[in-house]
Amino acid sequence: MSLYTEFRKLKRTCFFPAFAAGGVLSAAFPVLNMAVRSELFTAINAPAIQILMENNWEMMVMLNLLLLITGACILYHIEYAENGIQKMQALPLREASLFFGKAALLVPAFALMAVIEAASLIFCGARWFNESAGTLISDAAASLGFAFLLTLPALILSLMISSLCQNMWTMLGIGVLCVFTASMLPADSFLASLFPYAMPFQILPGMETEQITRYCIAAAAETAVLGSAELIILKTRRLFA
Amino acid sequence: MNMIETKKLAKTYSGFTAVNGISLHVPKGSVYGFVGPNGAGKSTTMKMFLGLTRPTAGSFTINNMQYPQDRVKILRNVGSFIEAPAFYGNLTGEENLDIIRRILRLPKSSVTDALELVGLTEHRRRLAKKYSLGMKQRLGLAGALLGRPPILILDEPTNGLDPVGIHEIRMLIRSLPEKFDCTVFVSSHLLSEIELMADNIGILNHGRLLFEGTLEELKEDAAMKGYPTDNLEDMFLALIEDDNSRKGSNRKNNSKRDSRKTESSRKGGAR
Repeated sequence: MSLYTEFRKLKRTCFFPAFAAGGVLSAAFPVLNMAVRSELFTAINAPAIQILMENNWEMMVMLNLLLLITGACILYHIEYAENGIQKMQALPLREASLFFGKAALLVPAFALMAVIEAASLIFCGARWFNESAGTLISDAAASLGFAFLLTLPALILSLMISSLCQNMWTMLGIGVLCVFTASMLPADSFLASLFPYAMPFQILPGMETEQITRYCIAAAAETAVLGSAELIILKTRRLFA
Repeated sequence: MNMIETKKLAKTYSGFTAVNGISLHVPKGSVYGFVGPNGAGKSTTMKMFLGLTRPTAGSFTINNMQYPQDRVKILRNVGSFIEAPAFYGNLTGEENLDIIRRILRLPKSSVTDALELVGLTEHRRRLAKKYSLGMKQRLGLAGALLGRPPILILDEPTNGLDPVGIHEIRMLIRSLPEKFDCTVFVSSHLLSEIELMADNIGILNHGRLLFEGTLEELKEDAAMKGYPTDNLEDMFLALIEDDNSRKGSNRKNNSKRDSRKTESSRKGGAR
């Protein structure tokens, strides 16, 4: 119910087309990279998806995160622009359901991007590496699924910041700052990589099973903690209103 | 029976008292006019009724439901319009009302009904952000009237409307208790405006309730205190000015008392 209402509010905001276009843009990166430097990459002795992820993912994830932040901005900007949120607060509706309804919209929008990107990786694998379709599909699905899980904390955090900032530009600024900070954090430090905006930079191919488990647990825990923090913030905000 | 009742309701914002222990009694099926100059605390009181602002002290019941325990139940019974119109600019008037309708789980016909009541049917497919101020007010009012709730809380609903619009909305508000068996709590800073639609009046100044009762009782009260009674606007101004000057002299007395205290303590210290 809340999800459908939130979906209806997005009319004329180009929310889903923006994610589709972002997905296409991000997916175009490995294709262009391969088209220009195919000899360099095909000479590497490793599975196709691993090569593609190692050489393209950083750029792709930056685009993903920036789009995620923009999406979170759109979702709350429509609430604050003409004070629609005040009307919602005066209706028999829990503010938490508004937040989670928006999160539930951001998840499929991001999933749409991930699917487009996976398709692009599969295309590159088939076109330049001559790997079997079965292996490519399973490898791409696992890699993008892992990336999707690791992006969830950043998704919730972006939405949380958006819910707190009435001015869209403030949120956008904070988000961009977070992404660039994450890209500058040391790649070999596990602790630093737990920063919500740094986690999506991790790639599955070539990672040890123990490390994969640790990241999956960390992502689930961060998502739960950030979700609970938002609930506390909403309650506290009402107490001090 | 009172539909809305407050007991020493107060709201303080870091040292500033917006609402100062008011006890209101809004009878069921009446139009209650809440009058006061800008900054008197009308909107804050209304916001407290909707749970948008938490009271610092005191309590209130709406339709025998207690805040904050029954907040969601209260909101199910209340149609509201607070301060500036609140809507989604990217949606049309009709789509805006449809969002509210879905949340309130009302039939689709309720949107058409509300649009017709406020005279927005013709403009229902236009984007809300392109509406004029008067149309935005009407949209806000339609949102409050959606589903014909038993209680309506309207904060200066005629703001930004042209004289014809003011008359239409005034007549609509006046007719609501009879038409839909509801109670209306409406605010304005013009007593002359409230006079034309309210059965009961509450006058607020600097967060304090100066008067509560019918217009006749107000006139009697004013005559007894020596205020002009033939012109409502003059009567209202006299009432407010008298309260302001009393508040001012209280403040002067307090500051005199404070300075006397400081002086005596200084003398005591010197000794």
